[in-house]
Amino acid sequence: MDIQTLTLTLGDSTHAGRTFDVMPIAGEEPVLQVTVSGAEETPVYVTVTDTQILCLAYLFEEQELLPQRVNELHENMLRLSVPMPLSSLGKTGDHYVVYGALSPTSGTAEIMQELVTLAENAIDLLQTFEDYLA
Amino acid sequence: MRSVLNKILTAMRGSVNELGEAVVDSQGNRILEQELRDSEQELKQAKQELAALMAESASLARQIRSEQDSASKREQDARKAITAGQEELAREVAERIVGHERRGAELTQTREILQQRIDSIKERVQRAEKQLADYRRELQVVKTNERVLRTTAQIDTNINSQQSSLSTAKETLERIRERQAREEDRQTASASLEKELTGADLDEKLKAAGIDGEQDAVDSVLARLKDKPAQ
Repeated sequence: MDIQTLTLTLGDSTHAGRTFDVMPIAGEEPVLQVTVSGAEETPVYVTVTDTQILCLAYLFEEQELLPQRVNELHENMLRLSVPMPLSSLGKTGDHYVVYGALSPTSGTAEIMQELVTLAENAIDLLQTFEDYLA
Repeated sequence: MRSVLNKILTAMRGSVNELGEAVVDSQGNRILEQELRDSEQELKQAKQELAALMAESASLARQIRSEQDSASKREQDARKAITAGQEELAREVAERIVGHERRGAELTQTREILQQRIDSIKERVQRAEKQLADYRRELQVVKTNERVLRTTAQIDTNINSQQSSLSTAKETLERIRERQAREEDRQTASASLEKELTGADLDEKLKAAGIDGEQDAVDSVLARLKDKPAQ
């Protein structure tokens, strides 16, 4: 699965009653911004490498957190990361992210399932961790 | 692998990565890729050598068997000669047997030495394969890390150029709440529309006013039954 195919496929597809709005992000790396209907606030970014399809959504930035509660938040993030379907929690740069990695041989259905799950998980996580925001 | 992971963590703790700079510099990456190619080359050579030695060992085994076969065949001949009282002939055959047995023993010794080399090369191949898998895994981690950093840097730049800034988590939460409220309103509205269409809302109003169609029907049936009691 490459970025071009994904762009064309997602734009015309529905999955579990959702549609996808796809926008390529300009730059050197092939990156797509995918907005899932019903979860528009948390767009999912998709990039395809030789070894994986990486999908990630931003949660919050380090400086948005209450410093005295960061350790507690980390503990909770680690605990939630395991049971959460198809998503893991992580950090890249200052961004806390929820992400999922798929095999490059994944089909459209798996990718769409991942995108929907990730966007919904991002919303649930934001609401769950709201109290940790400054 | 541990050294690569530690390098990534150390670099991440600093602020060097704000612009998605490569954590393990591209020089380090090239070294890793070179090591990978060297390992691949070594593995290829070792496998070729192994194949050649194994072929040689198989050929030696064939030769040893052939010497043994010849020796046992000659033994039968020698016995026959002795039985026939041909002592001289039997001696000649016995000399042949000694020759076969010596060559057999020499070949066996050569093959044993060869087998030791094969075993050691097999071990080398296994080591190289493991090493190769390790390098590949390391390289994958390094490359994925760089890719993620570059990707997120690209997303940030892009979003920043479109909006004044990346929206904060609080703003996002506000928008989520607004949408959820809208969805709830829509559900409530469609539920009441449904009631209107099916007349359920009218039935509710009638019931509230003490007018219950269902109850009335039951009452009238009862009255009819009482009117004509069983005979």
